[in-house]
Amino acid sequence: MHFAGVDVGSTTTKAALLDQDRALVGKSLLPTGANVVRAAQQAFQLALDEAGLEEHDIAYVVGTGYGRYKVPFGHAQVTEISCHARGAMRVFPGTRTILDIGGQDTKAIRVSPSGEILDFSMNDKCAAGTGRFLDAAATVMGLTIEEIGPVSLTSSAPLRITNVCTVFVEQEIMSHMSRGRKAQDILRGVHSAIAGRSLALMRRVGIDPEVTFTGGVSRNPGMVAAIEERLGAKINVSPLSQHLGAIGAAMFAVERAQGSPAPRPLVGELHVVGGH
Amino acid sequence: MERYADLATDPTFPSVRAWKQRTGGKAVGYFPVHPPAELIHAAGLLPVGVMGGGTRVEIDHADSRMQSFVCSISRSTLELGLTNRLDFLDGMVFTTICDVARNLSGVWKRNFGGAMMTELLHMPQQSNHKAAVEYLRAEYGRLVARLEALSGQAVTPQRLADSIALHNLGRKRLREVYAARAEHPERMSLAEAYVLARLGCVLPKEEHIALLDEALADIGARRAKPRDAVRVVLEGSFCEQPPLELLEIIEEAGCYIVDDDLVVGQRWFTGDVAQDGADPLGSLAEAYVNHSRMTSVRHQGDKRRSETMVGRMHDARAEGVLFVSAKFCEPALYDFVLTKDALERGKVPYLSLEFEEKMGAFESARTQVETFVESVLFT
Amino acid sequence: MEAQTPMQSAATPPMKSQDAGKNMQRQMMAQEYDALARAKQTKTPVAYLFISGNIQELFRSFGFLVVYPEINALQCGIKKAAGPLILKAEDKGYSSDVCGYVKNDIGLVMQNNKSPMGDLPRPDLLVCNFSGCNTYIKWFEALAELYDVPLVMLDVPYVRDGVIPKQDIAYIVSQLHDVIATCEKVTGRSFDKAELSRVLALSAKAEDKWCQVLETATRVPSPIDSFFEAVFFMAGINIFRGTQACVDYYDAVLAEIAERVERGVGPVERERFRVVMEGPPPWPHFRAFWELFKRWGVVCTAATYPKVGGLFDTGLRHDPSAPIESLANYAMNCYTNWSLDKRAELMEGYLKHFKADALVIHSVKSCRSFSVGQGDFRDAFVRGKNIPTLLVESDLADPRYFQEAQLRNRIDAFFEALEHRRLTTPAGGAL
Repeated sequence: MHFAGVDVGSTTTKAALLDQDRALVGKSLLPTGANVVRAAQQAFQLALDEAGLEEHDIAYVVGTGYGRYKVPFGHAQVTEISCHARGAMRVFPGTRTILDIGGQDTKAIRVSPSGEILDFSMNDKCAAGTGRFLDAAATVMGLTIEEIGPVSLTSSAPLRITNVCTVFVEQEIMSHMSRGRKAQDILRGVHSAIAGRSLALMRRVGIDPEVTFTGGVSRNPGMVAAIEERLGAKINVSPLSQHLGAIGAAMFAVERAQGSPAPRPLVGELHVVGGH
Repeated sequence: MERYADLATDPTFPSVRAWKQRTGGKAVGYFPVHPPAELIHAAGLLPVGVMGGGTRVEIDHADSRMQSFVCSISRSTLELGLTNRLDFLDGMVFTTICDVARNLSGVWKRNFGGAMMTELLHMPQQSNHKAAVEYLRAEYGRLVARLEALSGQAVTPQRLADSIALHNLGRKRLREVYAARAEHPERMSLAEAYVLARLGCVLPKEEHIALLDEALADIGARRAKPRDAVRVVLEGSFCEQPPLELLEIIEEAGCYIVDDDLVVGQRWFTGDVAQDGADPLGSLAEAYVNHSRMTSVRHQGDKRRSETMVGRMHDARAEGVLFVSAKFCEPALYDFVLTKDALERGKVPYLSLEFEEKMGAFESARTQVETFVESVLFT
Repeated sequence: MEAQTPMQSAATPPMKSQDAGKNMQRQMMAQEYDALARAKQTKTPVAYLFISGNIQELFRSFGFLVVYPEINALQCGIKKAAGPLILKAEDKGYSSDVCGYVKNDIGLVMQNNKSPMGDLPRPDLLVCNFSGCNTYIKWFEALAELYDVPLVMLDVPYVRDGVIPKQDIAYIVSQLHDVIATCEKVTGRSFDKAELSRVLALSAKAEDKWCQVLETATRVPSPIDSFFEAVFFMAGINIFRGTQACVDYYDAVLAEIAERVERGVGPVERERFRVVMEGPPPWPHFRAFWELFKRWGVVCTAATYPKVGGLFDTGLRHDPSAPIESLANYAMNCYTNWSLDKRAELMEGYLKHFKADALVIHSVKSCRSFSVGQGDFRDAFVRGKNIPTLLVESDLADPRYFQEAQLRNRIDAFFEALEHRRLTTPAGGAL
């Protein structure tokens, strides 16, 4: 028997398939685009293809993310807060605080050792401190989103970026560029500014170690470094970070299918089939 | 000037820490606009104006406690508290200038009330009103009792009279600085005059006065070529402080700021506090109720704001008004509409600029002021 | 806590007291707005007043009709008319960051007071009862210029330390004498102290009944929602206080509640969570907001917003035997005029007394008096007292600041976690 989680975010949609030992057997990621229902279906199908499974092999599907009610084949909906927490703890059982920086919003979640959500806080009103902020910076500097992280790491003299508004930070960056400042110093400043806002959000819920960083932006090594610097401690990052919401949803699918709302003890390490 | 500017705006308050070490005395901070420094001084304590984090404080902790859409100064002040940078203060005094400041005092009390005396004074919104004077006198009395408990020194009428006299002298010197400037604005920028005033927030009053004496002698000796600049009234900077660079840029762009509501340094009375009565506490209360400068933080009775602005312009021989107010500053935002309507009726040129205490980019402001100057000069 | 009374079966006789209160209120409001529309015709003097610290009894005794600009803004919000009015005010120069209530009202003035509730009369007196909200001052200063009418200031000191010093009451009393003198001038009538006492006696009666209404929510399950329904029940105590009609209104409401208890019905089908609500409602999106909570079986068993017109449930009562002092004391004891620590104490008391599982804070952009520092409440309750607390944000007046998807996400996540905690905690209890 297999179980699925589908995470329909505003920017990307992810799917994850688990077997009954909670091993990851398939996953996918694609842009959400304008048709949310189609994105959910395609993500689900791609994950099935990777796992070599068919739809009827899946006993239970949980939808999560902003588009969770638009997953027509879903059996239940769970918020991505709960799912990110569950997914993060699956991969890093020592997780007690989760920072999720997505394309359009940022969340901080604090969990108990048994996975219960103790507190959460979201920045869902403005783009400052989200992936959008980094996109804007990359665009204005003529770099790709994949380049800006590594470039920022080469800086030894970060500039202070004072604007919190995504729109006005573009002006500020251009002003620095016109004054001949180095790209890496500007970028390091941008990453540092986001890290600052992330830390502020995390402080609202309280920071207990270990901190796990999830969401698309966690793939940015410059961002990881900036947060570790502000925090003064190492944080957990996984290559699976973008899929943790879907993995968490799939975990809920396992539990719901087995009729138990209580959290089960985590079963060893996550086995990844197929590599990544 | 740079050294003084640093001293005046440094949110680590080096001069206050040094004073404490030197004298073993206690310091009581105050949030803008109206806390009675005279009372703090009379109790043998050092009054310290906490005017926000300026350009140097990152707000990492305070945002989650306050609200997003409020002035930076309320958040940066809380940030200073939450990051233990004001732990050298033995007390903190707030006044009811707006809902944000009022609530900030509540947050302050919960978080730091155990470590430092925290007080909020309800400043009367009545003017020329006997009951308001009596009430404020009683409010001041409450504060005095707490200050006495803090310092262990009684605030006798004589001590109070002496403190008032000293602060009057400080105000007089500042008036002289401003008058010298008004006569020869080319000799001293507003930024410089502002720094001199703001030093009154961190220096013991005696030292401040001595410094002002020196400055006055210096200004008198300066000579500079007058510029063809537009004389303007600056309105809206009574609480969160504009960055020095902004004040400099405004004048560099072609203005002389000949009147302002930068009331730092206890410049919030129109004249001296009366020194002839037998009841100095009553005189201090009377000064607030009947002789306060018009700012956005208090109701002015029958005087309409729009009329008062026109009067100010006339007295200062100004040609226009620059509304320079802090982003999200509610009192300024409301008053702006009434005042600008009056200016439009009188065909008086004005410009509205928003600032944040921690802003770092000024090109946009410069361009706007230059455009304003051009349009005034070519009319 | 789970509901224990069984559902109403199909064979039971129909309820007769439901909606009696609602209908009565609708009639009272219609009559009030009608009287306001004809004020000029009937040559009735009109006073403008604010809700917090409203000393309406004084004006009743003089025969004034009272206009509450806040209520007008609230009505426009509910009737989905606020948007264009706010835009009008913004065109005039009001910032997007100032209170939506004020802008709504300025918009009404700009269209000659033609409102969805009828024509509103100009003020003969602008009485700025400054209690709990600094914005009140700016609001009436603007109206004073727009109408060219004098503003009468009633400066009400802020309640700190929980104990009200004598000088605070004395100050207000002194100002009340000035207000009385002004009223005499405007109406040409002498102050009638006996009449004021008579009106205050009726106020006290209504206050008793209002408190009885609020107290019914201690019941498990609660027959009323102390926020989503109470903000309508409170209209009586806020704007009709001092009248016999107000007393009768609360009798009708109490009968309605008694019937609900008898029949085992309440505001939701099955009460699953009881919460204390702090903050005003988002008037332009009232129903949608309520639905976000209803779907989780959430019932508010206590709330702070219905106390903006008076903290009567703390024992505050008007006293006909000392009318002026009584008005002064009342004016100070309205929710937003209490310091943050007193507000927190009140909420904590509500959580216990009304057996609530959690605190929900609705932070509104427009109202700094309410909202600044709510983040600190959250910190105090979650970290200091271990009480689950949800903070959501929108606005009370401006229809633009309501992001349903984001709100739903936060609310769902919170109750999901509460439910999970309940299902997995050995005692099965809430906290």
